[in-house]
Amino acid sequence: MIRFILADLRRLWLGGAVVILLVALATALGVAVTLQERSLRLGSARAADKFDLVVGAPGSETQLILSSIFLQAAPLPLVEGSVLTKLAADPRVSWAAPVGFGDSFAGYPIIGTTTSLISGTTTGFSEGKMFALEGEAVLGAAVDLSIGAEIKPMHGTAETGGHTHAGPAYKVVGKLQPTGTPWDRAILVPIQAVWHVHGLGADHGHHEEHEGEHHDADGHDHSAEGEAHHDDADVHAEGASGHPDTAAHAQEAQQQGQKYAFALGAASSKHVEEDHHGSIDADTPIVETFGASTPGLPAILVKPKTIADAYRLRQEYRSGSTLGVFPGEVLTGLYATLGDAKMVLSAVAAGSQGLVAAALVLVTVIHVGQRRRQIGALRAFGAPRSSVFLIVWLELFLLVALGVGIGFLVGLGAAHVGAQMFTAKSGVILPVGFTREDGRLALILLGFAGVLAAVPALLAYRQSPAQALRA
Amino acid sequence: MLPLKIENLAVTFPGLVAPVLSIGTLEISAGSHVALTGGSGSGKSTLINIIAGLERIRAGKVLWGSQNLADLSEGRRDRWRAENIGLVMQDFHLFPGLSALENILLPARLSRVANAELVKRAHALFETVGLKRPEQHIETMSRGEMQRVAIARALLRKPGVIIADEPTASLDLESGEAVGDLLLSVAADAGSTLIIASHDQRLVERLGRRLSLKSGRIIGDVPTGEIAA
Repeated sequence: MIRFILADLRRLWLGGAVVILLVALATALGVAVTLQERSLRLGSARAADKFDLVVGAPGSETQLILSSIFLQAAPLPLVEGSVLTKLAADPRVSWAAPVGFGDSFAGYPIIGTTTSLISGTTTGFSEGKMFALEGEAVLGAAVDLSIGAEIKPMHGTAETGGHTHAGPAYKVVGKLQPTGTPWDRAILVPIQAVWHVHGLGADHGHHEEHEGEHHDADGHDHSAEGEAHHDDADVHAEGASGHPDTAAHAQEAQQQGQKYAFALGAASSKHVEEDHHGSIDADTPIVETFGASTPGLPAILVKPKTIADAYRLRQEYRSGSTLGVFPGEVLTGLYATLGDAKMVLSAVAAGSQGLVAAALVLVTVIHVGQRRRQIGALRAFGAPRSSVFLIVWLELFLLVALGVGIGFLVGLGAAHVGAQMFTAKSGVILPVGFTREDGRLALILLGFAGVLAAVPALLAYRQSPAQALRA
Repeated sequence: MLPLKIENLAVTFPGLVAPVLSIGTLEISAGSHVALTGGSGSGKSTLINIIAGLERIRAGKVLWGSQNLADLSEGRRDRWRAENIGLVMQDFHLFPGLSALENILLPARLSRVANAELVKRAHALFETVGLKRPEQHIETMSRGEMQRVAIARALLRKPGVIIADEPTASLDLESGEAVGDLLLSVAADAGSTLIIASHDQRLVERLGRRLSLKSGRIIGDVPTGEIAA
């Protein structure tokens, strides 16, 4: 019987191939959507689970998490430096580290932070060592630079019209092991250095050549709003020096800047001196005790000692001038959105699967019609009806099952490609893989195929051999 | 080896007033060789279908030995036919993609009765019908060869009755004659009852009895004499 089925399928290979292709594509679509959504969820959750609590200034929780954990640079309102001082001294906190961002190099974000954050969130170095001097930098595993490379920070990113800071350059001293998080794509430098690069009061401008342009590129919508919520201080500072005729506006911006801007905290007199050059003192050892003079910060990552401490800290830092957020709770909200998007995609996939199913029914009904004579002959020569049923059913079921199998593989492949593209862009490793849930989907599809295949089989079963032979 | 007895058979098709076949009584003795003749629309094919158990019998009796086909369900009729009737059709109804031998064995295999003995018999029959390459694919054979394969298939399960519907009509003269010879000799060897519907005058004359049909009725029943029952 198997040989007969195979001979039959060989004879009808073209139609069979089309059926397999249709089924495979429809299956792949559904599988890819499911896998991609799941891996996005898992990957982002894994990326976030190293960070227990994020403290920032009141504003968008989502933006705070996206910026501090997923390193999607966006100007954030600043939280006072004293908060870090207080958190670092809190006995419930095992470590608290500032995160400073806004600069980039070769498309990689430059993140200012501390050694405790690096050792607290990574498994160690694959090469080299931790930064110890202000002019040193450590690379995430996915940064395609080597030890000893020189990094000239660019303000913003090239795509958003950023400009290279004139003076400072970091030297790469170490490379971290992969963590599967966006931090793999980051260049980590001492926060102190970031402060020094940007660390000026509103009355000191960067002496950069393209500051006017920068202002135009970055600041115009804020000018329109007359408000500088989410801008950073540099822009306004530059605005002030680059366009004296807009002094009034700049004045206002400065005031806003004092409150929101990135690097506007009070600096030590030494800093102020250096700030004139907008430069770092490459050979200064880093200091990681943050006193009262700590500048304002976009976000502070906190590692509480216990879960209970985490909840208490979040509660305490959710009032007034700070916003304590568990990344998990923000992600949950995002997943809800993701879930909606998945539902739409799944509906599209289900629709296409329905269409394919309908097409299959049509194809098989026509097919059985064309095979009436053959089926009639089989019965006339003594094949029992059960055999005829089995032949027709198996033939179609084999095709569909093969299609489903190929579809799962193609879907897996597509999800892998998608995940790799995503990883390359964001650094978040998306774990693509089948789970028990997919096994259930496969069984449902196969069960459906089984029922579908029974339709023509029953049609074949019903006709009398004499009728079939006359056809 | 089975005798046929038909009583009060009437076959009607929906939409037609007159029955397409109406036979009061007809007996064919076991082992006899009978030709069925008649123009198209005479009811010849219907009679073949009825006595082969391919069509349901709504009125009358069709007895092969003591078995009334009218009493059997469709599934039982299929099984009975597989065991007792060897069918040979004008269009062969062989299955492409399979070898000659596989075609001979296919119905038995699908009925799950093919055992080593039957496979051996298939090989023997293959030689009996005068063919040489059992592994040859069916679509590469000539029409005459195909009909020989079909005859071997019909004989595989030692049927008591061989029914052939225009077995030579789609063959050239020479092959047709050879196929006719073959049918007569295998039926004689096995002692099977042989019923052939045919236009082929030369073939008809070689059978022992000729039944002529017209408009669903038997209008002639004459012995032709060459081979007696």
